[in-house]
Amino acid sequence: MRIRHTSLKNTFKHSLLYLVLIVSSLLMIVPFYWSVGTSLKLERFVFASPPQWWPDPVSIQSYVNILTRIPFLRYFTNSVFVSVVVTLGHVFFDTLAAYAFAKLKFPGRDKIFFIFLLVLMVPSQVNLIPVYRIMATLHWTDTYLALIIPNLTSIFGIFLMRQFLMSIPNELLDAARIDGCSEFGVFRRVALPLALPGIATLIIFTFMGVWNDFLWPRIVLNSEKLFTLPVGLAQLQMKNTSNEAQIMAGTVLTALPMILVFLFMQRQFIEGMTAGALKE
Amino acid sequence: MTAAPFPDRFRLFLRKYSMPYLFIAVPVLSMVVFMFIPMIVSFWWSLNDYSGIQAPKFIGLGNYIQLFTNDPIFIKTLANTSLFVLIGMGIGPTLGLLTALLLNQKVNFLSVFRTAYYLPVMTSLVVVSTIWVMLYNRNGLLNSVLTWLGLEKVGWLSDPRVALVSVAIASIWQGFGFETVIFLAAMQSIPRELYEAAMIDGAGSFQRFWYITLPSLRQVILFIYIYGIIGSYQVFDQIFVMTAGGPVYSTSTIVHYLFTKFMDLRLGYASAIAYILFAILVVFSFLQWRFLTEKS
Repeated sequence: MRIRHTSLKNTFKHSLLYLVLIVSSLLMIVPFYWSVGTSLKLERFVFASPPQWWPDPVSIQSYVNILTRIPFLRYFTNSVFVSVVVTLGHVFFDTLAAYAFAKLKFPGRDKIFFIFLLVLMVPSQVNLIPVYRIMATLHWTDTYLALIIPNLTSIFGIFLMRQFLMSIPNELLDAARIDGCSEFGVFRRVALPLALPGIATLIIFTFMGVWNDFLWPRIVLNSEKLFTLPVGLAQLQMKNTSNEAQIMAGTVLTALPMILVFLFMQRQFIEGMTAGALKE
Repeated sequence: MTAAPFPDRFRLFLRKYSMPYLFIAVPVLSMVVFMFIPMIVSFWWSLNDYSGIQAPKFIGLGNYIQLFTNDPIFIKTLANTSLFVLIGMGIGPTLGLLTALLLNQKVNFLSVFRTAYYLPVMTSLVVVSTIWVMLYNRNGLLNSVLTWLGLEKVGWLSDPRVALVSVAIASIWQGFGFETVIFLAAMQSIPRELYEAAMIDGAGSFQRFWYITLPSLRQVILFIYIYGIIGSYQVFDQIFVMTAGGPVYSTSTIVHYLFTKFMDLRLGYASAIAYILFAILVVFSFLQWRFLTEKS
């Protein structure tokens, strides 16, 4: 009798657990579903009452419209280009500097690193206007240079990679040096391959940050043909308040690439995100 | 004379250390040009009346005095931002902790649920905000549900009493999945033996949570709040897309106000706002800095 009682209680607890999980997950998914659904509705059904849970008729007109009337594909390639270049910059420069800070001895090393961490405390908005002025003086505003050059390295990235590189045994590096490797060779052939898990984290952090960045590109870009996806989407939303279906087609196209990448690389994403917070 | 003459010593120094200095050259240059100098320049501008067109005119603490004594909108902005942080930090991390506790119960389809919570975290704030603008529409989904329940429609983004809370809700929805994932990973690294020992001693599930789980998560909780507070005080994207600071400044936040002053070419004034933000965050930044230096 007793056993049956507990198992009944367990079943109840289990059902409750799954109920809460399913309902809360639905709350997370419904806004996305609603955005996709709306993008496939005819304009006059967007705010229909009662709401259309399933678009009827299903129409891809909104997608055709934003792809033909607005340079949305152009925004997409811009986003890809800027994100890839900046991410490559981070992987190379952050890792290289992190290698020097973690594994090489030189005068002032710890002082410089200390200053790096101090500067990290300053919120980016403090630098925003002067950096904008620098870009304007160099005539780099409204070019990709303004998105790329000030963002080629990050102190956080150096810090993260330094944590990873410090765990590489010095003997491995020394062995390569004895074999006649130059210091850059040691970095490229020994340290870099061993730091790959860390680099995966760095890539995810950086790519996501650049892909989703809004304030800086919004400030430095004026020409529509240079817009990245978030800037283009915000513009679409402001310019075109009447046609919600098109705006939603824009959100779907903006969000989809990142979501697809995430679904395929979920493990790396989760590990990367937690590494930043939990790695000792 | 045992020491080599100066040029030789210099050459020796170069040969020995040129590589490390070369390795850190780009980040150091980038830090000096894009962070260190701008930081100082920005502070100087905050003490000037500066439009970016005419030469800066030194006015001492004029901008700061103006902001605190003669700019009610800025005071409103400070209050709004603090309220936004309070709501977000009051609910977000707790929601993250609760969902992580649920997922830590040997759940089937763990990755499906985790993905659901994490999906908005991956998505740009502009996208999330755009979606919520639609949900918050006068005739949007949320009001349809309210009508269906027999309730009055709410002016989610048009009612000045509600708008900031609406933006905060969307932001919590977007962000708490990050906390879920972090808390879950931290919970999974707590040694099982601790729980087994507690169960032998007859500890119930709440006691296990209170005396084992929570203390083990101390560092992580601290991390979540420090980064959360720093990040929330800098809220901008949601405000820009959802309300543009309105209606009647009810959602104007520090960075959004800074942005509008920048657009009005009041660069000195905007720089002073940036430094006030820095001053507000300095305690939390210091804690964050302690975090990083302890780790290294």
